[in-house]
Amino acid sequence: MIPLRIKVEANADQMFVVRLRSFEGVTREHKAGQLTPFDVVLDRVGPEGAHYVGEGGPIRILGIDPANVDGDVLLVNPRRGTADRLIRSSSRHNTFLVTERCDQICLMCSQPPKRHHVDLFPYFETAALLAPEGATIGISGGEPTLFKAQLFDFLERVLSVRPDLSFHVLTNGQHFGEGDREAMSCIDRGRVVWGIPLYSRDPVVHDEIVAKAGAHEQLLENLAIMCRLGAQVELRTVLMRPNADGLLKLASFIAATLPFVRTWAIMQMENIGFGRMNWKTLFYDSSEGFDIVGRSIDRVRSRGIDAWLYNFPLCTVPEPYRSLAPATISDWKRAYRDECNGCSVKDRCGGFFEWHPANRGYSKLGAIQ
Amino acid sequence: MNVWPLKFRDMPDGSILFCDDAGAFFRSSHGFLDRYAADSLTALDESFLREGNHGFDREFDLPWTSFAYRWARRQARPTRMNYVILVPTLRCNLACGYCQVSRVAEKARGFDWSVETLAGVLSFLGRLDGPDIKIEFQGGEPLLRVDLLEAVRDFCRGKFPQSQFVVCTNLQALDERAWAFLDADDTFISTSLDGDRATHERQRTHGSAVTDVFFRNLETAVSRYPEGKISALPTVDVADPPDFNALLDNYERYGIRSVYLRPMNHQGFARKIQQGDNVLARWNGLHSEFIELLIARNHRTGRFMEEYYFSQCLKRVLRFDADDHVDIRNPNFFASDYVVIDHDGRFYPTDEARMLSRIGRIDLSIGDVETGIDRAKVDLLNSGALNHFDPDCVHCAYQPFCGTDVIDDISRYGRIDVPRPDTWFCGRHLSLFDKVFEILYRSDEPTRASLAAWLGLGRWDDSMAPAHQ
Repeated sequence: MIPLRIKVEANADQMFVVRLRSFEGVTREHKAGQLTPFDVVLDRVGPEGAHYVGEGGPIRILGIDPANVDGDVLLVNPRRGTADRLIRSSSRHNTFLVTERCDQICLMCSQPPKRHHVDLFPYFETAALLAPEGATIGISGGEPTLFKAQLFDFLERVLSVRPDLSFHVLTNGQHFGEGDREAMSCIDRGRVVWGIPLYSRDPVVHDEIVAKAGAHEQLLENLAIMCRLGAQVELRTVLMRPNADGLLKLASFIAATLPFVRTWAIMQMENIGFGRMNWKTLFYDSSEGFDIVGRSIDRVRSRGIDAWLYNFPLCTVPEPYRSLAPATISDWKRAYRDECNGCSVKDRCGGFFEWHPANRGYSKLGAIQ
Repeated sequence: MNVWPLKFRDMPDGSILFCDDAGAFFRSSHGFLDRYAADSLTALDESFLREGNHGFDREFDLPWTSFAYRWARRQARPTRMNYVILVPTLRCNLACGYCQVSRVAEKARGFDWSVETLAGVLSFLGRLDGPDIKIEFQGGEPLLRVDLLEAVRDFCRGKFPQSQFVVCTNLQALDERAWAFLDADDTFISTSLDGDRATHERQRTHGSAVTDVFFRNLETAVSRYPEGKISALPTVDVADPPDFNALLDNYERYGIRSVYLRPMNHQGFARKIQQGDNVLARWNGLHSEFIELLIARNHRTGRFMEEYYFSQCLKRVLRFDADDHVDIRNPNFFASDYVVIDHDGRFYPTDEARMLSRIGRIDLSIGDVETGIDRAKVDLLNSGALNHFDPDCVHCAYQPFCGTDVIDDISRYGRIDVPRPDTWFCGRHLSLFDKVFEILYRSDEPTRASLAAWLGLGRWDDSMAPAHQ
């Protein structure tokens, strides 16, 4: 698995953001023109780690090949001797976890909420400004819009300084309101996609899944606001046993009443966090029961609304629908199994979550010839 | 609940089709119509209407917002010019009886772009904004002037990050330079193939040797280029239609699965052709027959072919964003996203307008490359380029899916205010949308399979076309 946290040694008291640069084969003059105050440059590599030097002082990286972290943006915690790789320059899957607080407790949550919160927005802003050209950065939680004033400010500032960047924000959609019109209008709407979950047409089913009474009603009201604000919405539905039967009804509802969503994503669940705890009662084996999924996706697509399958291994999807199942599992969570050996579509398959259970998962899988 | 206004139309099976202004539709009964008209909807009716988003409780609630969104999206109004049809020469090496542009003989003089016109065209293209451009070379036979095509293509490749070129050619005279031009990956071929060999020869080539050259060149192109590079369309004479089975076999043989069955246009030489009485009814009958043939053939072979325009109308019904075909959209404002530049450097709003002007009936040119686009004239044309306020269209269940064709009205009737139901455009599209809905509400497997293929779906099932008792 790709490590998201690495060991470092730095002579500082407070946390700080830094970008690692190797500059192999680049002349000294050239180097100087490309450096910001947040850059440190690889000085030497030895058995005791990789030494970087720069304006912010020296830093030593341990246990990882410098070639794998060139261009990475780190949030260094010198007291703990660790650094979070906020931006991995070679990856398309970079996400800022802005809070672990949440006002919903979803049955399958892969990142169960915690009460404790530390505001890291200033660090995230610095990191985003150091991101590679054209990057899309994920914003996740917890529930990021619990701190929406900071979030809106952050998005507005970064997007105005970096016209090449885009954001994908995962939110439960509970906290938008007409009062956000001004803040939202300052954000370049074309470069922010809001990933918002809707689990069922039936309010009872949705509210039970997110463990919050009235969440469904609030969400629909807020989706209307998002539409009027011109926000790009990616509607996300994690497929589970409690909502699988109602999937077609949800599809009809989306086709009729949510035509403004940019995408509908039907998602397979992760066996981690609460998802692991509740796996037995929640996991829906779509390799056996794909019919309802296929019909639902066709229903929505027939009305010209984009619909996709996220986190579905290609071998669990019938051939006519495989083109709708992009490789969405993040690189650092992704694993291929022994059954994948010799598969002809492995290159474009997102594989399995690293923690997908060996025996209690899909019943039909295996290399596609 | 406030129900959005519904318009309705009888269906052949005795039921009634209901549509709202944003294009949502369902099939129901005379009983429902009575209840709707008398304002005595049952709880079941209300629940059905609510699920289909045909009503709302209060302004700005989700159903209200969604309806507004769908309605707004259906009003296509592209504003960036990115599609330019160029006519570098009006000369042609064929003399088709139905030629819509009244082409001139291959040896005629004064019908090609001058040096100044070419400079004016490039200067016009140079002033266009945006990342992409599509150029369609029309004629005459554009490959008679490959040099002009090269000049335009070179210029566009330098100016736009993405550019695409379509050469509308009769594939009769292709020298090495022409083949080299067509070889490029950004360049596509559009040609005419009127069905089987006999029909093609009768309507276009008029001689066995010339026909041989066409088919030889077509075969060379098909073997030389990947699928999708070549498209073709047949022009159909209602008085003497081709054998449709043979036509489809021939298209499939050349790897072309999308057939745009085109009636003779009422422009150019074609105006003089007598096609007999009831041309509209006979065309509609032929087209419907063709769709049935396609469905049966697709089912039999398992290889799916489509009639391009029918698929487009089908998408217009089901989706709110199928606005990319200039023959059917609403409003259909002129010189907004595409324009035609003729052999003499004059702008025309459409290719048909160019054709109509050429016979001297009316001057529909809208400026030229020297003076620019005449916006006052465009605005005048635009005043008729929408169906929203037409006294007949406002009552039509198909209004949200349909369009207008000002140029065709001028061509056929010399005016644009003929009662809509008396026009060719309306008669053709009523029949087309009747066919679309007939197909949508069928439940036989062959029809479902073709529907799924035409819409790019894994499967079509009955419940996708909503129905209520």
